[in-house]
Amino acid sequence: MVFILGVNFPERNLLKKSLQSFFGIGNDTSSRLLARFNIHPTCRVGELANKQVLDLTAVLSEMKIENDLRREVLNDIKRLKETGTYRGRRHALGLPVRGQRTRTQIKTPVKLNRMERRL
Amino acid sequence: MASPWCWSCLSPLRTPRAILPSSTTTTRITTAGFHSTAVQYAMPAKKNKNSITQLKYRQGQTLRRKKKKATENRARPPAIGERKAMRKRIVLSNPNALEVEGMQELSPETMIDNRLRGSVLGLPVTMLDQLRAVQAFKPRQGWNIFRRPGTVLRRDALELGQLFEKISGDDPAEKGKVVRKIITGPKGSGKTVHLLQAAAMGFLKNWVVITVPDAYELVSGTTSYSPIEGSNPPQYVQPNATSALLKRTVEANSKVLESLKVSQKHAGLENLKPTMTLKDLAQLGLGDAALSWPVFQALWAELTATSPAPGMENGFQSRPPTLVTVDGLSHWMTKTAYRAEDYSFVHPHDLVFVQHFLSLLKSDKPTLKNGGMLLYATSTSNNPSSYSLEVGLDQMIARQDGVSPTSPDYPAPEAYSNADPRVLELFKPTAASGKEGVLELQTLGGLTREETRGYLEYFAQSGLLRENINEKWVSERWSLSGGGIIGELEKLGRHVSAPAKLAQPTPDVE
Repeated sequence: MVFILGVNFPERNLLKKSLQSFFGIGNDTSSRLLARFNIHPTCRVGELANKQVLDLTAVLSEMKIENDLRREVLNDIKRLKETGTYRGRRHALGLPVRGQRTRTQIKTPVKLNRMERRL
Repeated sequence: MASPWCWSCLSPLRTPRAILPSSTTTTRITTAGFHSTAVQYAMPAKKNKNSITQLKYRQGQTLRRKKKKATENRARPPAIGERKAMRKRIVLSNPNALEVEGMQELSPETMIDNRLRGSVLGLPVTMLDQLRAVQAFKPRQGWNIFRRPGTVLRRDALELGQLFEKISGDDPAEKGKVVRKIITGPKGSGKTVHLLQAAAMGFLKNWVVITVPDAYELVSGTTSYSPIEGSNPPQYVQPNATSALLKRTVEANSKVLESLKVSQKHAGLENLKPTMTLKDLAQLGLGDAALSWPVFQALWAELTATSPAPGMENGFQSRPPTLVTVDGLSHWMTKTAYRAEDYSFVHPHDLVFVQHFLSLLKSDKPTLKNGGMLLYATSTSNNPSSYSLEVGLDQMIARQDGVSPTSPDYPAPEAYSNADPRVLELFKPTAASGKEGVLELQTLGGLTREETRGYLEYFAQSGLLRENINEKWVSERWSLSGGGIIGELEKLGRHVSAPAKLAQPTPDVE
């Protein structure tokens, strides 16, 4: 088990997938992280040297990911609601925000867009 | 049956209670329109929970089907690596196949014997471990249908044998020559097996055999890489791949390497003693992957040394010639899956491992000072398209046909084709210097009809083919296989067909 940013990852896991398990890190960011530290794309967590783990953790801790990023997104939505914009209203009503049709296929906004929005 | 309705006023008729069946046996009495099955046996209809009236606010009226539950797989999955091991498994013998009587073995004598052309020579059993160590066998080459592994002595193999004979022979003009070849050919023409034959001949002649069985592994981003500090543009070492290369080399050549002693001083490896053998030296890089690249460089310097360094003359033995084979060359001519720090793709020629083996193709500097052979084969089964390589090979063909590089007929990359200058540079003509031969292109084609006959007779003698092998039949198979392409011949030969009459294979009868 290897600790990266306070999370314990099994050694057999792919490092790229493990990085992508953080909120805010996707395919592109994780690829760029690997390239930055010269880690090959199919590296397993267990193959990392100690220094690489520390480097990765140092960089990740400076990035806006996980709760910081969630808070930022929620704050943005809150600001929209408070300023009374159309987008904010759509967020609050549980309706699609970006002009999609509402006749069918709006399961996702129904599920997600509500007054107490969660991420 | 009488209708329960009154036909005049359409009111239900009263039925005497005694006629009705008792309510304990049937719950509902209805008539079924088109069914002949008794309705009372049907299951009572369930209440439909998902009726439209129960839909919540703003729920779509779309058809919802229950998802099928995934069937739970109770079987235990195979252990880690087991499936890959099965996939990569190499079976070299089949006890059900007949033993071929009078089958000759590959040996220094038979590999140059023109009379044996077209016959299948067995690989010496003692050598199989060495060949396995250098990964000369590949899965799906059909070794598992015969009693013992063997290869056809075709024209190209005989020429190869003669080259080996010349380079390690006593003739001062030929001894210590370096032969460089790129081997191409259509799919199934035997390029990889040609490399295997070369490795086998190298072992027979006590050469040092160094192989890269799959060039793809070095560029596919599956092995670790790290930049060399201070290199500009950045170059990268691949410690684990180098370690694997050393392992292959040590396992396969342990007898030769044990007989040679360290004779040079190497930067970065201060604790080497002159009493150490080259095998000990190579093994330093096996345990510690970080050391593997300096160790490989040291081993290479030792193998190409012609004289000992001052102060280390004790027990210096002249080094044997070296055979280097690489399979799947075109992977080294496209981009890699590795990324540089700025997220750009690493060029394969920036990997020092790849660069080392590619630099050997240049004949302007002495590379293998004790002679040897470089055989780099392209692959057709796993072949990325590389326009620059195509142009480079075309240029080589043109040069071999006598077209001058200054002539307008000389192939050049098309305008705006974005050909890779580093790849083209590799195939530029270089003059032969001393014993360094220029880079040649060898195209493997099909077997001749006589060789085809010898090869198919081997199938018959192994009990696979039950045909009367005569000129006409062989000629037919030769045409069917696209002019003797050996991979296609193997498919034809291993396809067991039931003949009209069981005739013993008699090679002498026409």
